Amino acid sequence: MDISDTLKVCGSALSAQRARMDVITSNLANADVTRTAEGGPYRKKIAVLASEKLKEGFGGTLQDAMKTVKVAEIVEDMSPPRMVHDPAHPEANANGYVAMPNVNVISEMADLIVVGRAYEAMVTALDATKNMAIKTLEIGK
Amino acid sequence: MHDILIKGIGSYATPALKQTAAPTPSAPFGDMLKGAVQETNNLLQEAEGSALKVVAGDTGSLHQAMIALEKADISFRALLQVRNKVLEAYQEIMRMQI
Repeated sequence: MDISDTLKVCGSALSAQRARMDVITSNLANADVTRTAEGGPYRKKIAVLASEKLKEGFGGTLQDAMKTVKVAEIVEDMSPPRMVHDPAHPEANANGYVAMPNVNVISEMADLIVVGRAYEAMVTALDATKNMAIKTLEIGK
Repeated sequence: MHDILIKGIGSYATPALKQTAAPTPSAPFGDMLKGAVQETNNLLQEAEGSALKVVAGDTGSLHQAMIALEKADISFRALLQVRNKVLEAYQEIMRMQI
């Protein structure tokens, strides 16, 4: 078990959490956007994570057990848009309702905290790994 | 529990004869050390490259740069330990009374 493998797994997890954070940031930034290139209001994006083999080909049991993380795809939340009554809005329909993005700001904030904590956990794991390596170098001192 | 008087030694698995590995042509210590220095140097350069990318605002990600730095740090510390051990052994020999 090489220490660089552990660092690789940690690095991939950090990248994945960064990607999730980016997606949540985009959702929050576009929480009130009614016009998009595809037409209609902005749709909430969700990052889907997938685990990947650390190494291709044969390897020990531990190597098979260790998986790196990657962002498999970014999907759109297909739930219906939030209808807000605002007849003065240029996007309002005949009944005076505007289709707003299906982004729930409060749940996005909660997700933001979860992602931040997950990131912190990975940094802690990385630090622990590094400390272990440095302790190993102190053998025989 | 095995009773040696009744069961005899037949029931005991005979330990496999220790296979003496064929003497592999080992690399000289100097080459090994050279390789270790080279590897550490590569890691340091890689770390420097990723740190520069982050500073320049390029596409490099901050955590990957930090991981590269940590990797280089650990590698360098390991090399330092090897150097300490070698020097220690050398000095021990030099102190030998003839």
